[in-house]
Amino acid sequence: MCGIAGIHAYLDVAPPVDHGELVRVTERMTARGPDGSGLWLADDHRTGFGHRRLAIIDLSNGGAQPMQGENGRLTITFNGEIYNYRELRAELQAKGRVFRSESDTEVLLHLYAEYGADMVRRLRGMFAFGLWDAARRTLLLARDPLGVKPLYWSDDGWTVRFASQAKALLAGGAVSRDPDPAGIVGFHLLGSVPEPFTIWRGVHALPAGTTLTVDATGPHEPVRYYDVAAALAARSASRAHDLDGARGRLAGALHDSVRHHLVADVPVAVFLSAGIDSGALLGTMADLGARDVSAVTLAFDEFKGLALDEAPLAAEVAARYGARHIVRTVDRPEFERDLPMLLDAMDMPTIDGINTWFVAKAAREAGIKVALSGLGADECFGGYPSFVDVPRSVRWLRPISWVPGLGALARRGLSGVIAAGLGLHPKSAGVLQYGGSWAGAYLLRRSVYMPWELETLLAPDLVEEGLRRLAPLSRIAAALEAGKPLGDFDRVAALETSLYMRNQLLRDADWAGMAHSVEIRVPYVDPFFLAALPPGDVLANVRAKDVVAEVPSKPLPDSVRHRRKTGFSTPVGRWLTEAAGRGVSEALAEPAPAGIDFSAASRSWAQRVWRSGWLEPATA
Amino acid sequence: MASRILALVGDCYGARGGIARYNQDLFEALADGDVEILILPRLGDATGIDLPPGIRQAAAIFNRVTFSAAALVAAWRFRPVDVVFCGHVFMAPLAFVLARLLGARYWLQTHGTDVWNDRTAVSRRLIEAADLVSTVSRETRRILLTWVNLPPDRVRVLPDTVRDVFTPGSSRSDRGDEATYGPGPVLLTVARLAASERYKGHEAIFSVLPALRRKFPDLVHLVAGDGDDRGRLEAAAAEKAPGAVHFLGYVPDADLPDLYRRADLYVMPSTEEGFGIVYLEAAACGLRVLGGKGGGTADAIPDERVGAIVDPADRDALVTAIVRQLELGRADPSAVEPYRRPHFAAAARALYARLVAQPRRKKSGL
Repeated sequence: MCGIAGIHAYLDVAPPVDHGELVRVTERMTARGPDGSGLWLADDHRTGFGHRRLAIIDLSNGGAQPMQGENGRLTITFNGEIYNYRELRAELQAKGRVFRSESDTEVLLHLYAEYGADMVRRLRGMFAFGLWDAARRTLLLARDPLGVKPLYWSDDGWTVRFASQAKALLAGGAVSRDPDPAGIVGFHLLGSVPEPFTIWRGVHALPAGTTLTVDATGPHEPVRYYDVAAALAARSASRAHDLDGARGRLAGALHDSVRHHLVADVPVAVFLSAGIDSGALLGTMADLGARDVSAVTLAFDEFKGLALDEAPLAAEVAARYGARHIVRTVDRPEFERDLPMLLDAMDMPTIDGINTWFVAKAAREAGIKVALSGLGADECFGGYPSFVDVPRSVRWLRPISWVPGLGALARRGLSGVIAAGLGLHPKSAGVLQYGGSWAGAYLLRRSVYMPWELETLLAPDLVEEGLRRLAPLSRIAAALEAGKPLGDFDRVAALETSLYMRNQLLRDADWAGMAHSVEIRVPYVDPFFLAALPPGDVLANVRAKDVVAEVPSKPLPDSVRHRRKTGFSTPVGRWLTEAAGRGVSEALAEPAPAGIDFSAASRSWAQRVWRSGWLEPATA
Repeated sequence: MASRILALVGDCYGARGGIARYNQDLFEALADGDVEILILPRLGDATGIDLPPGIRQAAAIFNRVTFSAAALVAAWRFRPVDVVFCGHVFMAPLAFVLARLLGARYWLQTHGTDVWNDRTAVSRRLIEAADLVSTVSRETRRILLTWVNLPPDRVRVLPDTVRDVFTPGSSRSDRGDEATYGPGPVLLTVARLAASERYKGHEAIFSVLPALRRKFPDLVHLVAGDGDDRGRLEAAAAEKAPGAVHFLGYVPDADLPDLYRRADLYVMPSTEEGFGIVYLEAAACGLRVLGGKGGGTADAIPDERVGAIVDPADRDALVTAIVRQLELGRADPSAVEPYRRPHFAAAARALYARLVAQPRRKKSGL
């Protein structure tokens, strides 16, 4: 896990790589890789790479980057981990390829030499990299299938630049800061900026599961090599739909994924909540022989003695699997102190990531470099209310959507009534207009604001332009295009995985973890794992979370299995609500009621985040 | 069989100006790569001009309706067409229709103000429909992408090229040219004197000439070019800097290299150049250049080996920059090398190869 950067002057008229710019971009990501740094410039100074290293695999200098192949043709700067690198290495050695190091980075160089850009299909892991091929004079940018590792790029028409963080690209000083209405509107709609947009017009997120090639004419259109909906459709088509075998397949898939995610030359810890997902990870780690595993849990004084306190149950789980349990208590003063640093580390505006910031901070304090997280399990196993709400909404309201104009008319009428104090959430006015389609129902479920509300927050022309470019309903619907029909469970899984998990959860896990130099690994976010699970309709019928709880040889205790799901019910949500719009100090000085649902706070917090100066020149 | 381009342009062979010259350079680069090109211009007469192999130019038709009808007929006869090239967004509706009818790729070339200012919904849709949009400068690309929803990979930059005739030669002092305009220094501006192009910055230079002449009493400013604003500019020069400005009128392309070599500094603090090929031509002749902030000038004045860029509204900065550039002496022509023909031709052919590698559009009746 590291920070990567690169500059490539592809047109002859472009000036050579500015060494100072490359240093500025790379050093903006120092927290991503405190163990070392490297710069590489091609002999003709038309291409340059930067790298900040967090050493996890092959801690020697053999794993230092940017790394060049033996004959000097290929050079790579790589962020992430390749969990199947040993298998690939053996396969390449059998083909006669000679390795100089034990690192997964070198495997990528040989794999590219063997398969070209198609190499990405062979990789199991989380990754983003830039690879320069001096013979073909092409730069290959690639990102992992599900979007665990970020990669941003920029093209001014002469020179292409890339980096692990958007703010790092801006820190170089050569990238335009023109605002992008699509990204800004996207954040206000969804609470995170949907790829490929950022809030800056000149910076683009390379979509998950794509590669991008830059040649003498500049960047080409990104090429998709993995699609979630297509993968779910293939899984549904190829698997037996028997319930009996489902438990075994699920257990086998989880064992296999956790085993792969333990590949490291440093100890691997786990972020442990009181839920099933992280507990099952710890139990599986124990079954796989991991010893003295550190388990980190966040706690809050405000929750002591309440059901919301995760620490007691987490302690029970940690003890059950022989883990070293670290409970880290966060209080309001600490939150207040950290907020400026947190907003600075936040690479793109988001309404989430706070909890990850603190748990990663706790891990760092405990000397942990790598931790597994249960992120992604709800998308796999139908853990969100959306798995019930969205299909039900579509089923009930589809006939209404067939009457032209009825939904819009109802929304206008209801908006007025709600504004007059009916006590309903403003979004509920759009139920008839949006609830009858998959994209509309999902937008209603996940949105912070709805499109008709945006003009009260942003300039009307920005909203118009942003909605035009973003085309939110088309963009959501595109996540369902699998070429084959999908069942209800798989439809929601595709939406949550391709949109919410990718643009919100994974991006936040990256910046918040990396700010503390902690690599967060996500065994539930793995295309091999996804493909090995039973089909969606089977997962829905077997109550998958119950099955997950039974995967460890010593199943999770009943207290965990029967605990009511609390979501983001933490005092952080309450602090955010209070802080929003009134200044942090002022808000934190006041007493507040017990924990509230974070989602209810999302609107005011979104405004607080947005007002922190994203478009100002100093933001980088 | 050679690949075929049907090119709809404002002007090309037999016409003056930067866009006509750009079109000629582009088509000659592509024709060298086994491409057959039929040019349909609205202005310019190519009669008597020996066109390069592979290039034909039809008679110019200015009337829009007649031009469109003639283009339909010519396009039908020219089948199969691989690419419809549109040299100005003004002709994009016709280019779009022809590309659809012919099942060809649609390539839109933009130059600067044509896409900076005309931001209608129709223009936007027609630009967004293009398979490839090329611009001459990074700034035009940036501005275009602020209001048009195109994937960034589809908007490419293909900068102007400097022709081989622009090379350093003997300078003014070496040639004993002092008799004509005195010992100098000599400032030079080459530009159309059009009322619609007052952004070129002639008057900004006139206004600082008195200050410059206090330091250089024999300094003169030569203004080459003609146009409907010449009378007004002559009056302005007479008022602001009596005796310091000489209007040369239109100077043929063939005489430009010598003109550049006779000057000490090229000054054109223009704020809206799509690219500013004159800067590079002057620099290629060894003349330092001073450009204006804004537009695509930064692409034509890459660094101080060539010259500097200044805000013409800041008169003190303008004086300081002119004095400094005069002190620095001649430009380094090697800075212009990446803009020479071989680089341009390679870039143009690579871009074309990339475009034709895309699948042809399905023919449709719209």
